[in-house]
Amino acid sequence: MAAETDSVSEFAKDRAVWLRQLKGSLFEVLLIVATLVGVLALLVLFVLIGIDALGPSAADPAWYLLYFATLVTPVSAYTLYVRHDPAVAHVNARAFAVFCGGLALALIAYAVPAALNPYDVAIHAVFAAAPPLVVVAYGRLYGETHLTGPAVPVSVAVGLVCSFVLLGPLNAFTESLPDWVAYFAITTLPVAGILGVLGNRIWTDRGLTTAAFVVAAGLVTVGVSQSRGVDPSLWLVLVSVFLAPVALLVVETFERHPQGRAGLLGPVVLFGGILLGAWIEGQFGITGLDAWLRPTLVLESWSGYRPEQAGIYPQLLGSIMIVSLMTLMAFPVGVGAAVYLEEYAPATGWLGRLASVLDVNISNLAGVPSVVYGLLGLALFRQGLGLTPGILIAAATTLALLILPIMIVSAQEALRSVPDEYRQGSYGMGASRWQTIRNIVLPEAVPGILTGTILAIGRAIGETAPLVMIALATTRFDPPSGLFSGATALPLQIFAAKGNNIPEYRTGVVAAASIVLLALLLLMNATAILIRNRYQND
Amino acid sequence: MARDQECSIDGVSRRKFIVTTGAVGAAGVAGCGGDGEGGDGEGGEGGDGSDGGDGSSGGDGGDMDLSGNIRVSGSSTVFPVATAVGELFKEDHPDVTFDISKDGSSGGFENVFIPGDSDINNSSRAIKDEEVQTLRDNGIEPVEFEVAKDALTVVVNNENDFIDSLTYDELEQIWSPDDKAETWSDVNSDWPDEPIDLYGPASTSGTFDYFTETILGEAGRIRDDFEGTEEDDQIASGVEGNEYAMGYLPFAYYVNNPEETTAVPLATEAGEEPTDPSLDAASTGEYPLARPLFFYGNMNKIQEKGHVQAFIQFYIQKTTDKQLIADRIGYVQSSDQRAQQNQANLEAAITGDYEFSR
Repeated sequence: MAAETDSVSEFAKDRAVWLRQLKGSLFEVLLIVATLVGVLALLVLFVLIGIDALGPSAADPAWYLLYFATLVTPVSAYTLYVRHDPAVAHVNARAFAVFCGGLALALIAYAVPAALNPYDVAIHAVFAAAPPLVVVAYGRLYGETHLTGPAVPVSVAVGLVCSFVLLGPLNAFTESLPDWVAYFAITTLPVAGILGVLGNRIWTDRGLTTAAFVVAAGLVTVGVSQSRGVDPSLWLVLVSVFLAPVALLVVETFERHPQGRAGLLGPVVLFGGILLGAWIEGQFGITGLDAWLRPTLVLESWSGYRPEQAGIYPQLLGSIMIVSLMTLMAFPVGVGAAVYLEEYAPATGWLGRLASVLDVNISNLAGVPSVVYGLLGLALFRQGLGLTPGILIAAATTLALLILPIMIVSAQEALRSVPDEYRQGSYGMGASRWQTIRNIVLPEAVPGILTGTILAIGRAIGETAPLVMIALATTRFDPPSGLFSGATALPLQIFAAKGNNIPEYRTGVVAAASIVLLALLLLMNATAILIRNRYQND
Repeated sequence: MARDQECSIDGVSRRKFIVTTGAVGAAGVAGCGGDGEGGDGEGGEGGDGSDGGDGSSGGDGGDMDLSGNIRVSGSSTVFPVATAVGELFKEDHPDVTFDISKDGSSGGFENVFIPGDSDINNSSRAIKDEEVQTLRDNGIEPVEFEVAKDALTVVVNNENDFIDSLTYDELEQIWSPDDKAETWSDVNSDWPDEPIDLYGPASTSGTFDYFTETILGEAGRIRDDFEGTEEDDQIASGVEGNEYAMGYLPFAYYVNNPEETTAVPLATEAGEEPTDPSLDAASTGEYPLARPLFFYGNMNKIQEKGHVQAFIQFYIQKTTDKQLIADRIGYVQSSDQRAQQNQANLEAAITGDYEFSR
């Protein structure tokens, strides 16, 4: 009898265990299926867009063989090799970051001032940067530390006011100068400064030498281009923003990490393979891809009825300019609001209640549909300021309002994740609240704040609805030429091209332009990841 | 702001971008000629649409150094014409910039043109009396220009075998808000007992206004259970997706995408011979559902801005260009007579003597 009960309860126990296990494994399977469905659906979508944009079926088998030989094989072999040596892998990652980042920055640093008029940009940049530099230098020289901190933002503001007032008279003077002087001021000099500081950090005594090298390289470029009768501006920017950092990385690697120097070859293998392939393709007349995604797409102006000539240069630059201006406006406000709400706002009392109301509202605003922000922008600019909507500054402001709550929430999250012990420790050492925030809290929170910012920018760059609401132009043939000039953005043009009567637009051009937009987003996300990793390693 | 030097730099820069980013093919390192015509060099292949006489745009002298911005709003039907003409105008005047947006005829009037933000509003229907009134209240006189004619095309699914042609009466029964025919057999007993699925432009569209006015007798009078969209390809793909669907589109869309849907020949009366939509039939008036397309200029801005005058001048010339308007875009080009009328309107507007009337 007893034995029987035992076996029954044993059996029941086994069954219960078995059922539990079954439930557990079913749940696991369900999760795997959910993940796979999501990822596969996205993958299929991207493959379809890629096929439309690249037209792989048109290519000759010889074309595939060629690129297999020049690109796929060397890159795979190199990757396998790099993975075995952590020192090489480290240098390789840095080489790619400097190479791609430098190239992208150089192209933007050339194209945006070219659209706006390089001297306007240079005058504003000099007036904004020179006063704080003077203030800091004065502080260093005379050991004055109490007032230099607050004086820096004040001097920037004063400088900007002066530059807006003096722009007209100065333009009359700069009109006679060649453009490369402006580019020298806005690219070569800052790069020389930054690389000089880096050089000082790496070798302690070679800062000035590094900076002098950059300036000399710039001047040589100008000399060579002028002697050949070429406009030096683009070459100057490429040498300063792209080649100079790459050169510094190469020298540093050879001197400091010689065991990892093979890692420098990474970008060479990849881009060299592509260029070699393209060269052989041209030499032997091999039929390549029937691609809509080609260099002219991002370099040419838009065409509304000749799909083979349609380019998105004005739209791409418009997007970049709108988003940069938006970030300039939203970042200080967003971080400032987050610091107040997290660090200063009292928990109790009248102000405390106000802060908690603000907190709840900001979280809700982060979820408001973007069309509503479009209406807000329209009201602000048409009714509020009486300006024509559909201009660069209106688009940037509207998008800045849109991402502001997202930025505040993410910056708050980042500040909250700094352990309270740090603050207490700092107070215990006698630091004031401002000193604590400045020296302890903010540096800890920077990776989180920047990651949140870049993700918010990524959201803004794809926004279409608010831009439609503020009547931003769908088609332009030039990039924006100033704050109050008309502008257009890449997603708007993609949307408009989708409605074109000619079918090539709806499949080819739209797909290729979408890939450019995606690439822009991925580039920004990669930057976010790099910044986060860098700060976490430190 | 836009100096001619700047533009040539822009033109050269793109060529050099190709060189630098492509690194091969350094042959293109052309110097900065500094002749202010750099914009021409960047394409170098735009030879098709130009039918001579482009450069001689009108009586305003010194048009080589025209610069400024032209803001064009309004109809998505006229949008391709405005974009194409703007593009061609830019080949001669690289310093003139364009902001062209697609808001629908009514949307463009209401949100952009009436507040005085745009120089030109495209419209796929004639301007309404109340719009003229609001404009005049704002101190703006609209100057009418007829660009082209568009044959509105009624389309059905390719599988559809029961509709060979339609009369206006049948169209009215299908789209009317009063009867609200549920199935095709409600309209014609020979047709199948299947639910009607309707697609058409959204109510901000001039195409919508023209269709409802012509077929249903009153602008905006239509049943409310059709799928409305501002994008023609969505109408086509809606009709493509259901055997018992019907929609209407600009002919320019249909002629560029004839494989997606089937056009239905139309007749105004039951006894008449139905006509297939075509550019010829629309220009002779044989095809009944052809409507004129317009753009309206803001007279103050025409008087103020020389580059807007020059652009409209150029635009009027281009509206008679069969190669561009008909072959490339798919509308019926204007007659010379119509162009003269437009020209007269422009000249009256420049002197300030123009007053809009029907």
